[in-house]
Amino acid sequence: MKGLFKAKPRTPAELVRQTRDLLVYIDHNWNTREAKREEKMTELSRLIRELKSILYGNSEAEPVYEACAQLTQEFFRENTLRLLIICIPKLSLEARKDATQVVANLQRQQVHSRLIASDYLEANRDLLDTLIFGYENIDIALHYGAMLRECIRHQSIARYILESEHMKNFFDYIELPNFDIASDAFATFKELLTRHKSTVAEFLAKNYDWFFAEFNQNLLSSSNYITRRQAIKLLGDMLLDRSNAIVMMRYVSSKDNLIILMNLLRESSKSIQVEAFHVFKLFAANQNKPVEIVTILAANRSKLLRLLGGFKLDKGGCQFIKHA
Amino acid sequence: MRRRSVVLSGGGGGRQLTPSSSSAGLLDETGRSAGRTVFPTDARCYRLLHEIGSGVSAVVYRAACLPLDSSPVAIKSIDLERSPAGLDDVRREAKAMALLSHPNILRAHCSFTVGSRLWVVMPFMAAGSLHSIISSSFPVGLPEPSIAVILRELLCGLSYLHAQGLVHRDIKAGNILVDSDGSVKLADFGVSASVHDSGQLSSFSSSFLSDMAGTPYWMAPEVIHSHVGYGVKADIWSFGITALELAHGRPPLSHLPPSKSLLLRLTSRLRLDDAQNYNPAGGEAEKKKKAKKKFSKAFREMVASCLSQDPSQRPSAEKLLRHPFFKGFRSPDYLVKNVLRAVPPLEERFEGPSAADGSGRWSSFSPKRRRVSGWNFCEDAFELVPVYPEESLQRVHSGEDEEREMLIKDSLFVLLGSLGVQAEMAMKVLQCHRGKEGIVERLREEREKQLLGFAGSLEKTVGDLSSELQREKKTNFELQLELERLTDKQQQ
Repeated sequence: MKGLFKAKPRTPAELVRQTRDLLVYIDHNWNTREAKREEKMTELSRLIRELKSILYGNSEAEPVYEACAQLTQEFFRENTLRLLIICIPKLSLEARKDATQVVANLQRQQVHSRLIASDYLEANRDLLDTLIFGYENIDIALHYGAMLRECIRHQSIARYILESEHMKNFFDYIELPNFDIASDAFATFKELLTRHKSTVAEFLAKNYDWFFAEFNQNLLSSSNYITRRQAIKLLGDMLLDRSNAIVMMRYVSSKDNLIILMNLLRESSKSIQVEAFHVFKLFAANQNKPVEIVTILAANRSKLLRLLGGFKLDKGGCQFIKHA
Repeated sequence: MRRRSVVLSGGGGGRQLTPSSSSAGLLDETGRSAGRTVFPTDARCYRLLHEIGSGVSAVVYRAACLPLDSSPVAIKSIDLERSPAGLDDVRREAKAMALLSHPNILRAHCSFTVGSRLWVVMPFMAAGSLHSIISSSFPVGLPEPSIAVILRELLCGLSYLHAQGLVHRDIKAGNILVDSDGSVKLADFGVSASVHDSGQLSSFSSSFLSDMAGTPYWMAPEVIHSHVGYGVKADIWSFGITALELAHGRPPLSHLPPSKSLLLRLTSRLRLDDAQNYNPAGGEAEKKKKAKKKFSKAFREMVASCLSQDPSQRPSAEKLLRHPFFKGFRSPDYLVKNVLRAVPPLEERFEGPSAADGSGRWSSFSPKRRRVSGWNFCEDAFELVPVYPEESLQRVHSGEDEEREMLIKDSLFVLLGSLGVQAEMAMKVLQCHRGKEGIVERLREEREKQLLGFAGSLEKTVGDLSSELQREKKTNFELQLELERLTDKQQQ
């Protein structure tokens, strides 16, 4: 072992304390002499890397449970997580990546079979706001995004974000011009709407009106191909999930929704067409179709049959339409 | 487009977002802000100049970024409709490329969508890939000192990548780019995987990336045996193969079809001279000339260590950098003088796709269909007659070829889609009729038949290969006898 010959090998808890002290220093003395700051930053980067290798192991050793637990406990005992998140923009790229992995890993560490990260975040919900707003800063968006996705593994945290005003921001983040950031935001959005079934069902039931209005208008009818393709896939995933059955019935009873879906069926993109069909068939299969939906389906029957015939999809789809 | 709370500011293309609570302005080498040129995320800001490479679903162009004094860039345009990788894989690649920062790794300036294509804007590497350099000017391989320079640069990049917990998974000369100043960069993270991203608490040594990826000739045995799982050491194997590729102008076993080379890889050891022993194209004279090509002991040892069958026996990139072969290494300048001078410009090397790319051949298979031009939503009255606007019919005549191509593409995707649907149907049917053994039985029978077919063909290849092996062994034995005789003579 390397530590054998060192004067005093530092324990994981000591490492965390040193990291915290340095973070405090950097947070408050950012405008100090450059040479001094440089030195502190180098030391901080080294410490964060060391924390990472305790949590993930390295090429020589697997992670050790006791060390991880000690580290996690010390990390959440005081405000180290807050400091680390706030200081991310000041770190070098490599230190940011290490810090992101540390924060991600901490979300899954159990101490006395409890996820203490979840308790900490519940008491410090404003940190989640900070992470979400990270999408507006091109330099830290991917780091904060990755941390955020790990945080919403905790159901209570996902619920907090779903019920917050921030949910509306995602509709903008998804359409940001930078593909890497926009697709990261979508990944988080998808995770929020699919991970914790009961919470999602509750959210969709309570927020049906504004949510699907935004979803239809900004995502399904977006001018951006990627947005439409990802959104129609997500819509299918949500509606076909058994836990969202009530929401699904409501969605497929609306004429406006049907119009949007039928327009997606006509897309030149096969990926979008196929995903749109998976949602469209729910409208047709609905046993209690409202009159206006029956009317539309009947009016476009031959065209639909032709289109679906071209799809070479199963006969089932066509039979639904014949019923209409 | 509507923007609610996102504040856009700075950067000509409206790309830079204001840092919310940070002092990002103070940063230097860190993020993408201060000190770094901001590349616009708008297709209109670029002029595509020349096609310099193409693959199944992507084309690479040399282009000029107009707002930045028409500075040269390379743009990889990926067709997301045709890309075999899912959007998640594309996202992973974009993210990996955005977060890597090393002189030997090609980093993306930015990426954005243009219709159904993703444009990845990257630095333009004027001398192109090593594959294209070799095939245009060094068909029998590069001289050893140049190989040393290239491999050393490559190892620096690889060592950085591995320290990040990333596995490249597709190291080969075609993915190593060279600039006019001799700098060497590793590119194309299309199949790269993160050992940290894989869901569970994973560590370096126990990472299991079990899907197949990469290009057959460069692939490590444990990638082929994919159930074992593989990590960073798979890249070291590919690195060794790449070394052979640079030395001989082609990867070893490349005279065999890819699938055969995979099987042979599992049963045999590769040697440095494998690549030169087989030369189906060249005549006897050329063979002899090539066989004379000598490589230093250090080089042969270095490559042999990378090609150990046991991944744990392969040295890490870090360790390889300390290998004697790289002692007294030269600067990239050496490449400019000794390699790049002999190479024609990139545009002359690449031959764009010819007009006869086969689209005509396939068109006869695709049925003609009228496109649905609009739905009738009965907004005002009951109008039961579908609407077919005239212009859609006219377009069929004007752009027939385009239409045909689309139809082919369409029908392929339909086929794909319908397969998925059928599978789903079958599952449903199975669920409904769990009691009815008949269907299950039939399905099982079909599957068994398929499997038997596979097994048969596998057996045949194994048979072929083992007879080949026997032949090899025999020649080997004879050679050994010869050698012994010679040494005996010498001793006498």
